[in-house]
Amino acid sequence: MTEMLARFAPGLQEWLVLCAVLYAIGLYGLLTRRNAIALLMAAEIMLNAAALNFVVLNRFTSPQLVDGHVMALFVVVLAAAEIVVGMAIVVALYRIRNTVDISHMNYMKG
Amino acid sequence: MIADAVYTVMFYGFSAAVVILALAAVNMRQLLRAALALMGMLALSAALYIMLRAEFLAGVQILVYVGGIVVLIVFAIMLTRSSELLEDLPRTSTRWYGGVASILFMLVACGALCMTPFPVQSNAEPAGDEIRKIGLALLEQGSSGYLLPFELISLLLLVAVIGGTVIARKTRPRNQPFTTGGDLHGEAIVQAARGQGDVTPGDRHS
Repeated sequence: MTEMLARFAPGLQEWLVLCAVLYAIGLYGLLTRRNAIALLMAAEIMLNAAALNFVVLNRFTSPQLVDGHVMALFVVVLAAAEIVVGMAIVVALYRIRNTVDISHMNYMKG
Repeated sequence: MIADAVYTVMFYGFSAAVVILALAAVNMRQLLRAALALMGMLALSAALYIMLRAEFLAGVQILVYVGGIVVLIVFAIMLTRSSELLEDLPRTSTRWYGGVASILFMLVACGALCMTPFPVQSNAEPAGDEIRKIGLALLEQGSSGYLLPFELISLLLLVAVIGGTVIARKTRPRNQPFTTGGDLHGEAIVQAARGQGDVTPGDRHS
């Protein structure tokens, strides 16, 4: 039993496939949700998958360096900044229009 | 041997949990529960970071994502009353298009990943002083350092804080552009109900 499990120890491909699956789930949420906050949550899932991808490649191709870790840190900070501005816009739009349904947000339509 | 077996079990267990929680976060109709699923997914991602020997990033993940971003999302859900107003179900066609597009993306990405030969260094263990290296890399000038992005990202955070405050603030500043007008509309209604003042909702455009 342990031999079989040890033979299936996850390599680089398995980790990268996990990241791709997470990114695809985020993409699905981004394409199907109608609530603006849910859209931002799906974007968070995608950003998390991207940061995980950086760390995975760093671990398996150059474990002595930390460039992937630094890039993942930057991704986390960018996600925080994005969510702050996005939430501010959503709350401001809710004050004006009383809805956060993005199919009603057509102010800038010509 | 035993360590490898445990690693395998942990990887697949955490991966399944993360994927299931992510699916719940994008599919649940009640947004507060979706936010809870997102929180669980991000916390379990910290476990994945620890499995990759990135302990500092795991701590940052818990602090920033679970402690900050999820709380912000929950506040926004409450401020916009999204938990009371159940989100409209997406149309079936939208669901199909989104599902097909994301599954196609996943297949293409997995195919490309499985066909690409990566320069994998097997049996290479991290040195164990990643935190020290991260700190040095963030403050190092030159080709292998990240001093300029580090400074730029502090500027970005400042801009995000100011932008968030300006966009979401309640009262309208006098003679300033780029604001949303606050909720003077609601205040006008309240004042009219009280019977004092004749503020009209169109006043905010003046």
